[in-house]
Parts: sequence; C-alpha cells; structure tokens
Amino acid sequence: MFGVGTKGKVLFQQQWQGSLTEYVTAVAWPPNGLLAASSAAGEVVVWQDGNLVNLLPASVTSIDCLAFSVDGKFLAAGGQDGKVRVWSTIPTFKQGRKQEQEAKLIASLDNAPSWVDKLAWSPTCNHLAFSLGRYVQIWDADSQTAITTLPFANSSVLDLAWRPNGESIAIAGNGGVKVWSTIDWDDDPYLIDMPSASMVTAWSGDGKYIASGNFDNTITVLEYGSPHPWMMGGFPGKISNLTWSQRGSSNAPLLAASSIEGIAVWKKEADDKDGWNANVLTLHDRKIQALLFHPHSLLLASAADDGWLGLWTKAKQVGQILEGARNGFSCLAWSKDGKRLAAGGQDGELIVWSESKRGKGFG
Amino acid sequence: MVATTSNTVPVTVLTGYLGAGKTTLLNRILTYEHGKKVAVIVNEFGEVGIDNQLVIDADEEIFEMNNGCICCTVRGDLIRIIGNLMKRRHQFDHLVIETTGLADPAPVIQTFFVDEDMKDKIALDAVVTVVDAKHIQQHWSADEAQEQIAFADVILLNKTDLVSPQELEELESKIKTMNGMAKIYRTQNSELGMDALLGVQAFDLDRALEVDPEFLNEDAHEHDETVKSFAIVESGELDGQKLNDWLSNLLQTKGVDIFRMKGILNIAGEDERFVFQGVHMLLDGKPDRPWKEGETRKNELVFIGRNLDEAELREDFKQCLV
Repeated sequence: MFGVGTKGKVLFQQQWQGSLTEYVTAVAWPPNGLLAASSAAGEVVVWQDGNLVNLLPASVTSIDCLAFSVDGKFLAAGGQDGKVRVWSTIPTFKQGRKQEQEAKLIASLDNAPSWVDKLAWSPTCNHLAFSLGRYVQIWDADSQTAITTLPFANSSVLDLAWRPNGESIAIAGNGGVKVWSTIDWDDDPYLIDMPSASMVTAWSGDGKYIASGNFDNTITVLEYGSPHPWMMGGFPGKISNLTWSQRGSSNAPLLAASSIEGIAVWKKEADDKDGWNANVLTLHDRKIQALLFHPHSLLLASAADDGWLGLWTKAKQVGQILEGARNGFSCLAWSKDGKRLAAGGQDGELIVWSESKRGKGFG
Repeated sequence: MVATTSNTVPVTVLTGYLGAGKTTLLNRILTYEHGKKVAVIVNEFGEVGIDNQLVIDADEEIFEMNNGCICCTVRGDLIRIIGNLMKRRHQFDHLVIETTGLADPAPVIQTFFVDEDMKDKIALDAVVTVVDAKHIQQHWSADEAQEQIAFADVILLNKTDLVSPQELEELESKIKTMNGMAKIYRTQNSELGMDALLGVQAFDLDRALEVDPEFLNEDAHEHDETVKSFAIVESGELDGQKLNDWLSNLLQTKGVDIFRMKGILNIAGEDERFVFQGVHMLLDGKPDRPWKEGETRKNELVFIGRNLDEAELREDFKQCLV
C-alpha cells in the first residue's frame, strides 16, 4: 500500500514494517541511523537489523516522549509513571557482528506521581530537559546530575524547545512562552506574553524566529529579541503542530502549522511590514497528528487520523501519499540525513520508508 | 454537543463542598462491582485512599479562552491529561473528574463544550454534587456552594442522619428552588445506586428535557435566593431570526449569570423540535425528532442562574413568538 502518489511519483518506498502492542506515542532517530519507538502500553523498542529489541516491556502506564541525545550516545524516555529512563549507547551491528555494548539503562529518575510527557536534549551537549508538572528539570547525562529546575509556574508545562544554538530553552504553557538562558540559569526568563495558553512552540533552524501555537486558535511568531510578534489567526481549532523548514525559499524559513485537519504554510515577505502569507494545503479529512519538514529540503510530511501520510513537494503539492496505519497515524520522524522516514500508528504500527532512487530531485 | 456514539467515553463531574462526602462516593465508585473500568481525575492525590492505577492527579489550571465573541474558561490540565489517556484503547469505560470543594464547576464543563479534541472523544454524562445536609448551612454565602448546586444534574443530599426531618424538608425545598432540574437523592455515607450516578446522560441532547413536569407547571416560589431556576412554557411558533438575536444577545450580556439552560423549541416552518442546552455563554443545539401527530407543539425552556430577571426573560421570550 505504498508508493503511488497522486502524480504517480515514488519519493519514498516502504523498507520495513513492525508493530508494538499499542498506540505508538513517539519515534526517534539517532545520528547513527537506528530507530527507537515508544507506545501507550509503556514499551520502548529499538529497531536494528530488521528486528525490534525491547528496552522496556509493556506495562500499565504509557511512555509519552522519547529522544536521542545529539551525539546519539543516550536515549531518554518519559511517561505516566513519572520515571525518566536514560539508556547509554544503542548497540550497533555491522556485518552481523556487534560493535558496541548493549543499550544499558544508566539512570531512572523517579518523579511520581507527576507524568513526564515532554522531554528534549540540548542540541549542543548532553543536557536533558523534561517536564515535571509546572517545572522543567535540566539533567546532565555525562555527570548524571540534575543541573537546575526551572519554574514555569503559570500552569503545567505544555511544550519545550531548545534554541538550536543551545543557548536557551523555551517553555510553553498558560500565559505564553518563557525563555531561559542556559548560560545563566538563575537569570529571569524572557517572557513572550500571550492572552491564552501556548500549546506548542518551535524555533526556526537558524534560531532567529520562535513560533508558538496558542489555545485561542492563533499562532505567534517572534523574531527573537524583537518586541513585536506577528499574530496569525483564522484557524478552525487549536494549533497542534508547528514545524520550520531548514532553509527557506527566500529571506526566511517556511513555517508550517496544522489545526485539526488543515495545514497552512507561511512564507515571510521580503518587507517586514508585509508580514507572513499563508498557503493552505488540503488533503486530510481528520486530525493531523504530526507535521514535520524534511531536515534538508522543503519536503513536508503530514500524518493524520485518516491513515494518510502526505508528502508535500516544496511544501506545496502532494507528491506522494503513504499508508499503512489503518486507524490513523500518530507520530513521525525523519532520519538525520533525511533519507528515511519513520511513522507510528494508532494500532501500534511502526513503519520505515526510505528514499527512492527514482525520487531524486524533490524539494 | 457530544454525540453519544459508542466511541465516546462518558464523563461524570463530581463536585461538592469540602467534607460533604465526595471522597466516600469516589471510593464507592472505584470499589463497586459494576464491571466498568472507571478512571478518576482528582485534585489532591492523597485524598483518595485507594491504590488504583486509574486515579490520576491533576492541577486545577484554568485557561481563559477568548474565542471570537465568547470568552470562557476551561481546565487546561484536563485537556492535557485526557488527551494523553485516550491514546490507549479500552483503558477505561468511564471517567470521573473530581473538583475541589472550593472550585467553580463551570471550567470543567466548558472544557468539554469547547475543546474540539475532547468533543470527539468524551461525552459529558452528568454533574453530580454532594451536599452536606448539616454543614451546607454555614456555606450558603459562598458562591461555590451555590454554583455547585446550580450546575448539578444529580444531587446527593448527604448526611441526612445529622439533621431533623423538618430541616431536611426545608433544605430540599430550597435546593429545588435553586435548581429545579436536578434529581435529588437523600443519602447517608454517600450511598446511592450506581445507576443513579453513572450513565445518567444528562447532557445528551436526545434527552434534552426530561424535566419534572411538576417543575414546568410550578408557580414562582417565594424564596429570595440569588441563585434560582425557573421554566418558561409557551405555546405558539417562534420566529427563528428573532429567537437567534435574542439568544445571542442574552448569552453575551447575561452569559456569566446563566449557569445552565435547556430547552425544546417550536420554530416556525420546521417540522422537527429544536433542542438545545447551554453552560454560561456556550450553547449547543440541533433539530431533534419531528413533532408527532396530535402532539401539542410548544416551547419549554429552563434557566438556572444568578440574579436573573425572570419577568423580563419571559417577556423577551414572548417577543420572539411569531
């Protein structure tokens, strides 16, 4: 059920499919190309040599977030049991021979009864940030110690995002986004004030812009440091996903957002005064669960409840539609080189596609 | 709102003043052999003295939502927690949300009216309020105590053994004045059959008005409560446009004071009954079944609110008739 898009192009073809026992909550690629996934049943698996290796078996509580450190040395997972588990070095295989040691659980940080539903590694070092109710804790994997605890205070932490240069971290929740400097954790955070709650937040790859999707169905985009954000409205519901393209077509990267089943792609006009203009992409007829730009091109992937994974060429038209999750997709991730795409399904499907040789030249 | 398809999970909102008997009731729901997997969202984890995987601690975070012309508040933590819980299939069949004794129940209820993700997955079942028959006397001045009664579909008049029969009569009559729609049960130790608690479907538009006919026919009480309920019953057909203008103006100007509202309407030119319900300024309505042959077409509305001018509302409603 893969391959043939609306124009008959094959950009990506299915390489492998496996399954977890429940809704796949997260998929993640480390730099070295192996895949990890987690499920609502609490499983954590890594995919190697075409097999799934269980790091954590199914239990009663879900794992909700999963991420590899920037150097690929650590894998962290958090969930409803309040534990943040950190494994060191995923084993890699070459010609059937094990090259490195097994994935080893090196830390299990207990935070029950809080849920840990958001976590992210610093883009420049092995610092892990994870949500803890109204706080975010920063933990150093190299020394295995907590560095600081940031009080978001206004509400539970709804999202967090490191600035790509690693110099700050943005935390979203009720009242807007607060940005802490990693250089001096004790400094007061910079507040991007909003009249409602900010549910998702994302930095552009160059770290110049920060976008936030808000509870009142708006998006705020701020050129970081400027006091005047742009506001974008007209969405039918909450903004559930935000993603920036790595490089833009002109002076700024593109910003794509999804709200219920709709996608809008925003392009900044040359003159600041003209602001950003949107192009609406229609394909899905149910809620979009994940939306991600390719790491090096303008290829945009959207995965939805309707069981379709759309690949949008140049973030404009449907280049290909991938399927394989009968009751809908739940998450997706591009490999770091952009040559592979992984998606999770709501019935536990885990699918990997790889770039088709014939599909060169997109984006 | 909330189509009751088999895919939606019913949610019961449990309110009541501190010490009224909510925790006892929660424990009954959790231990009762009703064959349902009930997940419970509580505010204070320690309060429920039961070891249950499906008891989840929540913070009472109120988000203000300014959406076009309406402004309301929702519980942000519920959206986060329920969104997370609902990923796993068949994890639970019924959800109970407990609010703390001093909380306004409106933001919880509004969450399920407003949030598009919740609307698809969750169907409000009923607001259940536990009232301490003895100590409520000390709490009447608190807005929360009155609102908890005003919002209720089911009221447990609890600890009846601690008051005299006469006090109980007076209390029940007072509560009926405030909320004529709720079913009132006299209880001790929060003992009540599960059928009266779970699966009540009080928010189901298909059963919008199962109001006690006695209440509909009743004359105004001689109480001077600021929170009260009353019904408007009028025969005749409504001008759809006039009705719309009146309702939208009413919700914008009086929405804050209207706690609950329900109605069946006879709109000119329509063969179907129009049913609706509202919570503060949020309204949800749809055409219902066709009027039956020989059935008297009429309009029935119920209001529960604070400082509502009953005479004015009646008069304004009459102006909407053709």
